[in-house]
Amino acid sequence: MKAVRTALRGGLAGRRLQALAIGLVLLASAATATLAAGLLVDSDAPFDQAFAAQHGAEAAVTVDPQKAPAKDLAATARVAGVTAVTGPFAQATVGATAAVPDTPGVVFQAFTLAGRSSPGGPVDDIVLSSGHWPTATGQIAVSGNLGVPLDPGEKITLTGVPGSPTLTVVGVGNSVTDTADAWVVPAQMTALGTPQTEQMLYRFASVGSSGAVNAGIAAVRQALPAGAVLGTGSWLTVRLREAQSIAPWVPFLVAFAVIGLVLSVLIVVNVVSGAVSAGTRRIGVLKAIGFTPAQVVLIYVLQVAIPAVVGVALGAVIANLLAVPVLGRTATVFQVAPQSIPLWIDVVMPLALLVMAGIAALVVASGAGRLSAVQAIATGRAPRLSHGYAVHRVLGRAQGLPRPVTIGLAGPFARPGRTLVTLAAILLGAIAVTFGVGLATSLDRVGADVLKTGYLEFGLPGQPGQQPSPGQPPPAEQQAAMAAAIRAQPGTLHYVTEAADQLAVVGMSGTTEVTAFGGDASWTGYAMISGNWYGAGGAVVNTAFLDATGKQVGDPITLNDDGRSATLTITGEFFKLGSATVMTSLSSVEAIDPSGLAPQVYVVGLRPGVHGPDYENALFATLGPGNYDQITPGSTDVLSIIGGLVLILTLLLVIVAGLGVLNTVVLMTRERVHDIGVFKAVGMSPRQVIAMVVTTVGATGLIAGLIAVPAGIALHHAILPVMGNAAQTGFPPAIYNVYSPAELALLALAGLAIAVAGALAPASWAARTRTALALRAE
Amino acid sequence: MTAMDALVRLSDVTKQYEDGKSPAVAHVTMNVGQGESVALMGPSGSGKSTLLNLIAGLDRPTSGTIRVGDQELGTLSETGAARFRRRQVGIIFQFFNLLDDMTVADNVLLPAQLAGVPAGRARSRLDELLAAMRIEKHRNAYPARLSGGERQRVAIARALVNRPPLLLADEPTGALDSATSDEIGELLLDLNNSGQTLILVTHDSALAARYVKRVIRIVDGQITVGVPAGSAA
Repeated sequence: MKAVRTALRGGLAGRRLQALAIGLVLLASAATATLAAGLLVDSDAPFDQAFAAQHGAEAAVTVDPQKAPAKDLAATARVAGVTAVTGPFAQATVGATAAVPDTPGVVFQAFTLAGRSSPGGPVDDIVLSSGHWPTATGQIAVSGNLGVPLDPGEKITLTGVPGSPTLTVVGVGNSVTDTADAWVVPAQMTALGTPQTEQMLYRFASVGSSGAVNAGIAAVRQALPAGAVLGTGSWLTVRLREAQSIAPWVPFLVAFAVIGLVLSVLIVVNVVSGAVSAGTRRIGVLKAIGFTPAQVVLIYVLQVAIPAVVGVALGAVIANLLAVPVLGRTATVFQVAPQSIPLWIDVVMPLALLVMAGIAALVVASGAGRLSAVQAIATGRAPRLSHGYAVHRVLGRAQGLPRPVTIGLAGPFARPGRTLVTLAAILLGAIAVTFGVGLATSLDRVGADVLKTGYLEFGLPGQPGQQPSPGQPPPAEQQAAMAAAIRAQPGTLHYVTEAADQLAVVGMSGTTEVTAFGGDASWTGYAMISGNWYGAGGAVVNTAFLDATGKQVGDPITLNDDGRSATLTITGEFFKLGSATVMTSLSSVEAIDPSGLAPQVYVVGLRPGVHGPDYENALFATLGPGNYDQITPGSTDVLSIIGGLVLILTLLLVIVAGLGVLNTVVLMTRERVHDIGVFKAVGMSPRQVIAMVVTTVGATGLIAGLIAVPAGIALHHAILPVMGNAAQTGFPPAIYNVYSPAELALLALAGLAIAVAGALAPASWAARTRTALALRAE
Repeated sequence: MTAMDALVRLSDVTKQYEDGKSPAVAHVTMNVGQGESVALMGPSGSGKSTLLNLIAGLDRPTSGTIRVGDQELGTLSETGAARFRRRQVGIIFQFFNLLDDMTVADNVLLPAQLAGVPAGRARSRLDELLAAMRIEKHRNAYPARLSGGERQRVAIARALVNRPPLLLADEPTGALDSATSDEIGELLLDLNNSGQTLILVTHDSALAARYVKRVIRIVDGQITVGVPAGSAA
């Protein structure tokens, strides 16, 4: 082994550049693969653990008790595919206020209340984190996911029901699929005297996909009288919602990881085959002095293994560092400790990469083990190949191209195998560029939508439905003053009022964000994914809403509040990240909740050339301080982090691809150092040498770049919907169509740029090589 | 021949590869006239090939000046040295140094193409040289298929394609059998007789005696004597 160590040291010392290339490519691959796998596992783990422990409801079905008597509901337990059922539980959506210390005036616009005699059962086993389950009327257990810290002993007053009863919080619990906001004993539901629906909770034999869950729900629906089912909810929707803070990261990380993995294999193969080819004499000498074929193979495998181990170890560390800000966001989802990449992922992913690199090295290095010692020493180098002579001959007659360029162009044909590996390395690097640029542009556009850069928004002070603060005019006067001030501004092109409310949607638990515009809002430019902007009696909804309700464009939806309701038709799906949202005209819904739907925000489109801050200053001067709020756009922090990561990974893969080229050109110039000496002896200038060497990989790079553009676009178009799906949103065409013709032309040159960048250093080395010395080289 | 008439003028030229070690060439001063044929002779490691490399612009002297025609080689940049090699010198090597992946024609044409000679003119010069070297039939052959003598003829043709005033030959017959060596020697003699200046490195005193007019002896990097070729042995 000592002899192997000595020979290995010599081999590594002579191939520092190749060792660096291997280390870097495996670092990049290990970092992306470990991070991707870690996020993939962690995105669902907390929810899945809680769901299994609590026998979570795989489907929640809201039924009309007038149409589905108890015996029909009980019969659904025998429907094929149903494995467990709980219910019926009386259910009502009411208003509520709570007195919480340090949080005055807590108002729940729509509070889904369910009547259950116990927290347990075969489905939706509610876990109490404090207090106890209600045992009598006047008591209530609340969900820990309300967003307001309610503790046992505090009071909740139900509004919009006869007598507005006040209940005492006796427990705080958690339903893993959020089947209700609070629970009371069934007798309390009866005492409310308000219209109620009934909730049935099911578990099915097959629930792995939306289709399977929907099939189960359809079977239940079919077993009940027509029209009895008012709404349904799937556990997958909740699971997706819980995972959506992490899940969008996974698809592009997987894409980058796969590119990195393939690059790793290519570069390992290239480095080892190059080392074997260039070290033929050394191999011959090693064998002649007594090294066995296995020892020779071991030396070459270890030459890869040592930098590879360092690379994957550093990659795993980097993955864990990158995971901290990403996984930290999930810590609060299930009140669990901060998540980190599981240890087994930290071990398995780097190890898998090492094994892969080791196998690639072993396969190539076994050729070195088989080499005849005599032949290796005699030839001093790998047998001279006779590939590409015909190409040399043809290109030698090419008119209009300098001779060094035609010699360079013929170069790739001398070693077609190495050229293909180099082409693949550049191709992957260039694909990463096209994909990364496209993804970054798509994220920019998503960010622009979040930031609402097309217009300004001004809000009235105070909250809808609340009395104005002392000294402030009544809401009607505030609205009139704001409208007059906006109309008076010469920079105003158009404006529309906006009211936001939380309303119940039949078939969904909790409330849904409803935005109601007081006028034509089509100019605000919300991007449509499908369908059209709403007209009279219509509404547009985002993807999260469609996912949560199972509705489609064209379906009706019913919004209600305190017993008042409005049914609208979904005319289109608009692009908006985040929770389920409905947008409609104020006239369609204001009757449901007149005070809550008072205009609160004024959306202003500016005339071309008007500077936003100037407009705001002018409005401020007209209205005076304290009479309006500039609406702060949504946060794009997550998008910025993803965009930054995309940039880093793209650069990393480009550098790795460039190192792949560098490695190829170093091998080539070392093998052809004597020929380069001859070229220089007969008058090839340093610039001509550089041109010749760079051209050797330049054409390969250009071809790779041309192939990479459609491949990168295809990858972008394949990954983006997966990311959108993970974030519970579709994307409008503008998010997909991000490549302008000029950008495409530049991206097509990415392969050439990678090739030239990778080749320049060894080309310069070749140009500087002393001619007399090169002529003496073997 | 005065120094001013000489095509090649070396003045106090020293080449030292490593500090503290003996120079490969030490304080060499010599001239080679236009149309002259000179043999540099000496034992292995005497510095004769180094001296040839310096005259060819393949290497740079540590001190001293080398002039070929009007060109002082020490002042040339790498690009300038490459241009000098294209136009002013043709070099013939012991092991031919032909490019295996190029045909005979492409090997010969290469210096002309690097020098930007118009294609038509280069082709006619190629035809002329292949005929003169009697290797026309090998025009499209690759060097690996040629005999040693044929390869050296190709190398000579390549060296002459740009009509350089100076032809340098480093052991041109060192890799050939005696019959072929004679052929190559005759060829070089013919070239010199037609006015081509020739500097030849050899350790073969018979070759020097038969084919060059003057012999310069080098030992340990220094010129020991310069004598007419007939008295070299």
